[in-house]
Amino acid sequence: MTIAVVLLALLGSAWLLAVIEAWLTTGRLRPAAPLLAGLSHLGRESILPRKPDRLFFETAPVLLLVVAVLGAAVLPLAPGLIIADLATGALFVNAALAYVLVALIMAGWGPNGAYAMVGGWRFLGQLIAYAMLVVMPITAVAMRAESLLTSTIVTSQAGLWNIIYQPLGFVLFFIAAMALAFRAPFDLPTAPGELAGGVDAEYTGVRLAVLRLARLVLVITLAAATTVFYLGGWHGPLLPPWAWSLIKILTVAVAMLLAGHYLPRIREADLLGWCWKLGIPLALLNILIVGLMILVVP
Amino acid sequence: MSEAATTLAGARKGRPSIVQRLVGRALARNLSCLIVPGPEVALVHSLDVVAAGMRFAATPRDANVLLVIGELSRKLDEATAVLYAQMPRPRAILVLGGPAPSSFPQADVAAGLSQAELIDATDRLQRVLAEGAFAASPEDFDAPVLQTRTEYVCPMHPEVVEEEPGSCHKCGMDLVAREAGGDKDEEETPPEHDHHHDHEHHNHEHHHGHDHDHHEHQNHHEHHQDHEHEHPHGHDHEHHQDHDHEHCHGHEHHEHDHGGHDHAGHDHGASGFMSMVEVTKDLPRSADGLAMDWLEVPFGPCFPGLPGGLKLMLTLDGDGVAEGQATSLVGMSAATKEIAAETFVERLTTAMPLAPLSYRLLACRAIEQAAGLEEDTATARACVSALERERIASHLGWLVLLGRQLGFAWLTRRATTLQLDSRCATREQLVALRPALRALTARLERTPLLKARLKGIGTLPVDSYDLRGPVARAASSAEDVRQTDAIYRELGFETRTGEGGDAWARLRQRLGEITASLDLIEAAGEPRLPILRDIGGASGTGEASVETPRGRADLRLTLEHGQVISFQLDTACNHNIGLVANLVEGQELGDALVAVGSLDLSPWEVSS
Repeated sequence: MTIAVVLLALLGSAWLLAVIEAWLTTGRLRPAAPLLAGLSHLGRESILPRKPDRLFFETAPVLLLVVAVLGAAVLPLAPGLIIADLATGALFVNAALAYVLVALIMAGWGPNGAYAMVGGWRFLGQLIAYAMLVVMPITAVAMRAESLLTSTIVTSQAGLWNIIYQPLGFVLFFIAAMALAFRAPFDLPTAPGELAGGVDAEYTGVRLAVLRLARLVLVITLAAATTVFYLGGWHGPLLPPWAWSLIKILTVAVAMLLAGHYLPRIREADLLGWCWKLGIPLALLNILIVGLMILVVP
Repeated sequence: MSEAATTLAGARKGRPSIVQRLVGRALARNLSCLIVPGPEVALVHSLDVVAAGMRFAATPRDANVLLVIGELSRKLDEATAVLYAQMPRPRAILVLGGPAPSSFPQADVAAGLSQAELIDATDRLQRVLAEGAFAASPEDFDAPVLQTRTEYVCPMHPEVVEEEPGSCHKCGMDLVAREAGGDKDEEETPPEHDHHHDHEHHNHEHHHGHDHDHHEHQNHHEHHQDHEHEHPHGHDHEHHQDHDHEHCHGHEHHEHDHGGHDHAGHDHGASGFMSMVEVTKDLPRSADGLAMDWLEVPFGPCFPGLPGGLKLMLTLDGDGVAEGQATSLVGMSAATKEIAAETFVERLTTAMPLAPLSYRLLACRAIEQAAGLEEDTATARACVSALERERIASHLGWLVLLGRQLGFAWLTRRATTLQLDSRCATREQLVALRPALRALTARLERTPLLKARLKGIGTLPVDSYDLRGPVARAASSAEDVRQTDAIYRELGFETRTGEGGDAWARLRQRLGEITASLDLIEAAGEPRLPILRDIGGASGTGEASVETPRGRADLRLTLEHGQVISFQLDTACNHNIGLVANLVEGQELGDALVAVGSLDLSPWEVSS
C-alpha cells in the first residue's frame, strides 16, 4: 500500500513538474501535454542503432528509472509514509544515486555513437566533481540528527529547518543535486548545443519515453532528498504533512529546472575546479561549524 | 501535396486502430522539427517556429517534422536525405518556399515563406499526421547518397571491380565493398589513418549474412571519409524496426557496407576484448598524455550549436579535439555565365540569406560604379540605416545561436524575440527597442558563468592577419570599411574595438555594435532597401566594399552592355573560416564549439 502511494506520488509529482515547467517557460498551462508527449513517444519508432551494445542500450533507461525510485524509497513523505525506513537511509540515498553514473555510462556506450559516448564519459568527470558535495553536506545533516534514519533527520528539524541551521550545506547540496540530476547548467552529458543530446541522442520511441520519465523522477527524488535533509520534510502549519512534503518537493524541483534557463552551461574544467578547490573546503567548514554548534548549543 | 493527403510518406507500419488514431492525435500535438538549413534561416524570414506550435529538435532522432526552408544546395540536399533517414517514423516533411527536394520524398505539406503560411501549414501537417501516421504498407526510404554508389573490389587486385558481392576471379578472395564515385585520393590514405576509428561493439544479432562481415573490414576508412561525414549527426544508417525482415536484410547490405564503426581486420566471430592499450598503441598522444581512441566525428550541417550548413569535422581524442576543419555545404559557387545586372543583384541577395541586404547593397554599389553613376546621397543614408538594421538583427541572431549552443534558454528566447522585432522595423520602432537592447546587454554582462564560459576561449593567435569584422575588432584591430565612408563620417561614426580577441571579447564587441548601430540609425533616418538604379546598357568595371555584419565584403565586377560578365567576391567569412583549424586544435570539445560559434560564420559566404 505504502509502495503504491509513494510510486503514485512520484509519478504525480513528475507530471506536475512537467506541467509547471512548461507553464513557466512557455506561459501556456497544458495539463495534458506530458501525457500527450508520452503517448506520442510510444507511437514513434524505437530505433535500434547500428551494432549497439544491446544489453547496455536497453538497460540504461530502465536502470536510471529504478535508481531514481530506489533513492525515493528511503525518503519519507509523511510520518510513516516511507517505503523502507532504513537505519542507513541517508547513506542509502547516496549509494542508490551512485548508479546514475552507471546508467549514464551504459547509455553512452550502448548505442555505439560518438556523441553519446562523449556524453557518458563526461558524466564520469562530473561525478568526480559533485560526489563529495553530496556526501559531505549529508554528513553534517546526520551529525545534527545523530542518526542516518531519514525520518529522524526530519524530526530533528522540527524546531529549526536545516536550511537555516546550516545554509552553507544546503547551497552545496542543492548545487551537487543539480549536477547529479544533470540538469542545465550541469547538463554536460546531454548538452544539446554541444553533443546534440549526448546520451539521449540515440534513444527514440518507448526507450526515450522511459529515459525522459527517469530524468523527471530523478529530479523529484533529489528534490525530495533536499526537502528531507534541509527543508524540514513534512513539517509545516495547517496543511497535512504529505501536502507540505509535496509543496516543498515541487518548489525545489521547479527551482532546479528553472535555474538552467537563466544560466549558460558550465565548463567541465570549471565545474571540477570549483567543486574541489572551493566546494570541498566549504563543505569541511560546514561540518566544522555544525560540529561546533552541536557542542556549544545544548 | 495538400490536405487531401491522408497517407504520409514517412508513416509507420501499422494497421489503423483506435489506439493508433489516438496516438496519431498525440503525435500531431507534439511536433518537433529539425530545420534545414537551420533555425537562423527561419528567423531571417521572420518565421517563428515556436509560435507556430512546433518545438526545435536537437537531433533527427528527436524530430518528427523535417522543415526545409528555401532551396537547398546539392550537398545539403544529400545530407538532408540522411537526416531524414535517421528520423524515427512517423515523420513528415514540410517545405517552405522551396522547390521539391531531390534526394528525399516529396513534401507532405508545402507552403510559402511567411508566418501566416507557416501557421496554416502546421495546421495541415497536424491533420496529415493525425490521420496518416500509420499505414499498412509505408513507403520505404533509403537516402540515395547511401544507396547508389556501392561497388565491390578485390583487396589484392584493385582492377577487379564488380557490381555484386562475390569472390575475385584472379585470386578467389572475397570482394570488399567500397563506394564508387568517391574521391579517389581518399582511397590511398596512409594506413595510420585507419586508427581513426570509432569504437566497436561486438554484437552478433545484426549479422544476417556471413559475407557482410568481410565487406566491412577493409575499406572502412574511405567509408568514413566519403560517407560517414555526410552524416550530419555522426551515426550511420540504422534499423528501422518497422521494416519487415526482408527489407531489413536489404538494408543490412548498406548498413554494413557503409559502416564506419568497425575496426579493420577484426573478426566478429571472436568477441574478444580489445584493450585500450592495444587499440591506442601506435596512436599519437595528445597534450594531456592520455591514450585515447581517436574518433572522427562530424558536427553539422544541421547541428544545434552551429550555423546550419556549416560542417565541422573534428577528430576527437576523448573529449579533446585533436584536429578539426570546417567546410560549408552551402557555399557560393562561382557562376560565370553573364546575367543582367538586376538578376545579378537578386541572385546575390538570395545567395546570402543571413545578410541579404548587405550583399544587395554591395551589388548595387558595384554595378552603379561600373556604370559610372555617382552615389545618390539621399538614398545612401537610407541604405546605411538599413545596413545597420541588418547588423543589429544579425548580431541578435548570433546571440540566439550562442544561447542555443550554451543551453542558455533565456538568451535564445529573448534574442529571438528582439530579432523578430528588429528585422523589418522602422526607425521609430528600432529606437523604441533601445531600452530592451540595453537591458539585454546589461543582463549578459552580469550573467553568472557566462564570462567564465567564454573568457579565454577561441583566443586568436597574435600573428593572425587579415581578420575581418567584429572578430578583428574584438582583437583590437580597427578593421572597418565604414571609417572611410563619407556618410558614416557625417553621421559621426567611430570604430569601436575591444580587447582580448577571445569569445568573451567578441560577445562584448557585438553587443557594443548593436548599440552603435542603433545610434547610427537614429541619425541616418528611415531604413530603406537599396534599389538598383537604371544603368541602361552601360559597360565598365566597378568595385565596392561593404561592412557586412560579419565583416568587409569586396565585390569587383565587369559590366558589358548592362550585363554582368564576371565578378569576384571576397567575404569576411571566407577569411575567418580559415581560423577554425587553429582555434579548435587541442581544445576541449565544448570550448572548441564555442570558439567556432564565436566567429559567427555564415556558410553561405564561404566559397565552395
